[in-house]
Amino acid sequence: MRALVVVTHPAETSFTRATCDAATRGLIRAGHTVTVLDLYSMGFQPAMTNAERAAYHEANPVVDPLVAESVAAIRQAEMLVFVYPTWWSGLPAMLKGWLEKTMLPDVAFVFDADHRVRPGLTKVRRIVGISSYGSARTYVKAINDNGRRTLLRALRLNTGLRTRSTWLAFYSIDSSTAEQRGAFIERVERKMASV
Amino acid sequence: MRTLVVYCHPADTSFAVAVRDAALEGLRAVGHEVRLTDLYAEGFDPVFSAFEHANHRTAGAMDPVVARHADDLRWCESLVLVYPTWWAGQPAMLKGWIDRVWTNGVAWELPEGANRLRPLLRNIRHITVATTHGSSKLINALEGEGGKRTVNRSIRVLCHPRCRTRWIAMYNIDRSTPHERARFAQRVSDRLAREQRQRR
Repeated sequence: MRALVVVTHPAETSFTRATCDAATRGLIRAGHTVTVLDLYSMGFQPAMTNAERAAYHEANPVVDPLVAESVAAIRQAEMLVFVYPTWWSGLPAMLKGWLEKTMLPDVAFVFDADHRVRPGLTKVRRIVGISSYGSARTYVKAINDNGRRTLLRALRLNTGLRTRSTWLAFYSIDSSTAEQRGAFIERVERKMASV
Repeated sequence: MRTLVVYCHPADTSFAVAVRDAALEGLRAVGHEVRLTDLYAEGFDPVFSAFEHANHRTAGAMDPVVARHADDLRWCESLVLVYPTWWAGQPAMLKGWIDRVWTNGVAWELPEGANRLRPLLRNIRHITVATTHGSSKLINALEGEGGKRTVNRSIRVLCHPRCRTRWIAMYNIDRSTPHERARFAQRVSDRLAREQRQRR
């Protein structure tokens, strides 16, 4: 399967990046073709601009060359893998903006004759989320995991009905030990080698 | 009441402008003191930086722009957010404002030995959201209303313990008529002009 891995973290060395590397290793070991988009390193601009908003429903909605690169990768992808830290129960602005700017009409969804939204990501067969959380699992469950909802519900509605999902979460990261983090990284690699 | 209105939309020809102006009109009609933040107009940078990440555990050095936004948050008793819902939540610009401004020492603190964040924005007693959704209420329910939960849960717990939230939403805007949009703008104005109940 062709996998697109989208990683979001501001620091050059971070747990998120180590997790992303493990996921990539696992996927390659299982014979998948992997493309990695590292949003911070690319210098992606997440705020949709006035020009982009104006072009959104037009024939050529892609204004930004980095968006063009991402869209080309999305069109190839059969698996979408998101690796990010959860901030305020949701996606970092960087990743949220990437969705807004790249998941365009005729890429992620199409309008039917009645101007109703229909799925456009019909190639995608699996969505994977890998995220770290400052909060404990019980707190995340109580307050809600909006990043997970955005990816596994809002985005998944734009894929085929049979799309499967995988969620790998690391809770309470601020009070975690090096052993726990190492074990999670191993688990990610193992899991991604078997999806 | 001291009210901070945070407005987020890239286009000045958008319906969001009418919603924002309706909100301001309603607030001023009943004599609230209003500060307006227009994130796109000021060119706010929504990207939480590597520097900010490296320093987020210690409240301290802060970008002067972020510090000004933090002052506005500490000043207000009522917070009003006006934005379009995109991909079930706040636009990246507004999410970035939350990521960068609602930080350690502004919105919360984590005292030594504590295992939960302590809220610092106890001055905020009301949060109101006026938002528009492209899709229907049913689709938004399936998507899980992440944006609503972000405000009503994640953000609210950093405010006054009895902080109240109000949600004013218009669905199906892509298929709406001018009359429906005008009615929604009026509703926003009326709701904001109405006395908010205080829970003591």
